[in-house]
Amino acid sequence: MITIEQINTYITKIPPAPDALKKTLLHLNNENLSRAASAAQEDNALSSYLKTLVNSPIYGFSNVISDIPQMFGVLGVPRSQQVVYNYMLSLLSPDKWKLFKLNKTTFHNLQSDLSVHWQKILTHLKIIDPHIQSSISLLPATIIVSEALFCENIEDVNQLRSVNPIDLNSILQRLCNVNLFDLCQMIAEKWDMGVSTSQIIQASSGLKPSENKNINILGKWMHLLLFYILSKPKYVEAGLNDFIDFQIDYVEDIYDDFSKVMDIS
Amino acid sequence: MRSVTKNGVRIFFPQGFLDGTAAEELLSIDDVNRTVKSNPSMILVSLKKVIFFNTNGLEPFIKLFKIARKENHTAVGFCDYDLKKYNTILKFYKDDLMFSLFKTEKIAQLFATNYDNKNINVLLYNEDKSQRTAMAMELHDNGHTPIVAQSEKEFQEKIDSGTFDTIIETTYLGQIEQNVATRVTGNAIIYTVNAFLDAEIGESFNIDYHFHSLNVGFRLFIFDASKVVSMNVHAMNFFSKLASSGAEYNANICFVGMSFEKTQNEFKNTLEDAGIIFFEQMDDILKNKDMLSELGSSSIANIKQKRVINKVMINELPNFVNATVATIEMMTNSTAVKDAIQVNELSIKNTEGMIASSIGFYGDMDGMILLVFPVEIAKKACELLIGESTEDAELILDTLAELVNIVGGKLTTLLSDHDINVNITLPRTYPNVSSLLDIVKGKKGVQVDLSFDDDKFLFFLTR
Repeated sequence: MITIEQINTYITKIPPAPDALKKTLLHLNNENLSRAASAAQEDNALSSYLKTLVNSPIYGFSNVISDIPQMFGVLGVPRSQQVVYNYMLSLLSPDKWKLFKLNKTTFHNLQSDLSVHWQKILTHLKIIDPHIQSSISLLPATIIVSEALFCENIEDVNQLRSVNPIDLNSILQRLCNVNLFDLCQMIAEKWDMGVSTSQIIQASSGLKPSENKNINILGKWMHLLLFYILSKPKYVEAGLNDFIDFQIDYVEDIYDDFSKVMDIS
Repeated sequence: MRSVTKNGVRIFFPQGFLDGTAAEELLSIDDVNRTVKSNPSMILVSLKKVIFFNTNGLEPFIKLFKIARKENHTAVGFCDYDLKKYNTILKFYKDDLMFSLFKTEKIAQLFATNYDNKNINVLLYNEDKSQRTAMAMELHDNGHTPIVAQSEKEFQEKIDSGTFDTIIETTYLGQIEQNVATRVTGNAIIYTVNAFLDAEIGESFNIDYHFHSLNVGFRLFIFDASKVVSMNVHAMNFFSKLASSGAEYNANICFVGMSFEKTQNEFKNTLEDAGIIFFEQMDDILKNKDMLSELGSSSIANIKQKRVINKVMINELPNFVNATVATIEMMTNSTAVKDAIQVNELSIKNTEGMIASSIGFYGDMDGMILLVFPVEIAKKACELLIGESTEDAELILDTLAELVNIVGGKLTTLLSDHDINVNITLPRTYPNVSSLLDIVKGKKGVQVDLSFDDDKFLFFLTR
C-alpha cells in the first residue's frame, strides 16, 4: 500500500521555506516586527493569507486589519510567528483533498481553531515562548501527510478498517516503521522549526511520552486539544475524527483543567 | 466513524467529545440502515476513547439501538467505560434503559450468542438482585459458569480468594433476546435459536446463507437450542426439510440442549428419522475432536451439484483476481506476478506448508473463491492486522479469515460497480489443504497461479 521509498520521495519533495518567509521568521525571532512585516510584504501570497486568516471570525478583531505591520503589531511576536508557520504549512496542503472532505477554507479554519485554543491553553499555563506558541502550527501536518500518502488507497484503507479498527498512524507504522508524527518531525527539521517544536509534536501523538516533564505536559494538552477540535461537526464530517487514535489514558489527568479552560460543562 | 464486525458483533468506536453538535455526522441514516440490514447478533458502542458525552451526543446511538431492537431484536449496548461514565449513563436513562451496559467488550462477548469461547468461569455482582439473576441465567444459557456474589463484601472476598476468568461488575443487562445468530467454529456453523420455534423460523432463518455455506464446504450445522422453550409442528417440518436437503451434500445437522419437556416427544423421533442428531451439551461435540472431524468432514461422493463456472463469471474474472491480489498486495506491501491461468480442477503441486481459506458469494451470481497460501505469506499478510509477527497457528488462521473477509468486501464493491450485487458468506479456513481438496474434488474452476516475492500463491474460482 505505502512503501518507505514513497515516504522518502514525499519528504524529499517538500520544498524549503521561501526566502521571504525565512527573512520574516528571522526578524520575528529577533523580535523586530517592522522588518518582519516588510519581509512578509515581499510575498504576495503570504500577505494575502495573513489578511484572510487574521480577519477570520475566530480571531475576533472588531475592525478589518489590512496592513501587515499593523497586523503583526496587534498579534505580537509569538502569534505572528504562529500565523507565518501556519502559512508555511498551508503551502504543503493539496489543491484538492481526496481522503478528507476538506478545502482551503476548512483547512485554514482548522489551523485557526487550533492556534486560538492553543493560545488559551498557554495563557492558562502561563507560558510565553514563541517556539512553544508556534509549535501548534505543525500539528495539522499529520493531516496533510495522511492525505498525501493515503489518498490513492482510500478503498484499501476502508476495507482494512471494516475488519480491524486500525488508525492511519498504526497502518503507516506497521507498514513502514515510521509514523505520522515522525514525518512531522522531519518537516520541522527541514524548516528549522526548532527542537522544542519537534519534541512537543512527538509527545502530542500520545504514543511517545517525553522524558522532559514540561514537554510532556504540553504534549498532553496538545493531544487533547486536537481531539477537542476534531470532535467539532465540520471536522467529523471531513473524516478527521478518527484518522489517528485518541490516547485517552494519556490525557486523563489534565481533563478537568482542560474542561475549565475550554468552558465545557 | 470506525466500526468493525467481528464474530457477528458490530462495534462502533467513536472518539473524543460526544456533545450532540456532531451527532448527525457521527452516524448517518445510511450507517443506521446498513447496520440494521446486516443484522448483526449484537451492536456495541465502545466508549473507550470518548472523554466527554452528554445525552445529545449519545442520541444517534440510542436511535440505532431502538431501530435494531424493533427490526431484528438485536442485543444492543455500550461497552468499555469506567465507573463515572457508567453512573452517568444510568442517570441519563434511568427511566428508559432499553440497552445493555457492558464494562468491557470482552464481557459483552460473553452475552453474545456467537461467542466462540464457552465455559468461562465468571464472578459477577450487581446491587440489583434481579440484574444478578438475569445475568447469571444468560451466562449459564450461553454455556458459561457464573458465580454470583450476593453482597459487595462477598464480591470483594471472592475476588481476593478465587480465580476467575472474568469478573463482571458495573454491568447492566437490558433487553437481550436475540434472533437466529450465526457463528463459525472450526468446520462447523452454529446457529442459535431461542424461545418458541414456530412457522416464523422460516422467515428468520437465512436459507440462502445456509445453502451457500453448504456450497462453500461446510458440512456440520449445529443448532444451539438450549434456550428453546418449545417447538411446534411447523418448525419441526422446517427442520426435517432442512435436514433432507442437506443430505444431498452429506451434511450433518445437530441439535444441542433441546429440552422436550414442552414439546411432543414424537417430534424428536421424526427429526431423528430425518437425520438430525441430538446432543445434550455443546461440549459433547466441540470437545470431541474425532466426532467433530467426522461430522464436519467433506464427502466426495455426495456432493451432488457439480456446477460449472459460466460466462458471466469468466467475464468478471479480472475483478475476482484484482480483489484478491490488491488485498494481498496491500497487506504484504509486495507486488504480485501472475504465473499461469487455467480452467481445470484445482491442482496444487506442493501441499506442504500450505494453508487455505475459502469464501462464498451469492446473489446475482454465486460461487466460491479459494485461496491457498504458503504459511509464510499468510503470516506476513496478517502482520498488518495483528501488529506483530506471530507463530500462533490459531491466531494466523483467525486473522486469515479477516483477510479473506476483506477480499470478499472488496469483491462486493468491485462487482457492484458493474451492477452485480452479491452477498458473501462467513469465511472458512483450512490448516492444511487436504480437506480443501476434498471439497473441490471434481469441480472445475479457474485457477490463477501467482507469485508474491517468489512465494507461490494460488487463487481458484469455482461454483
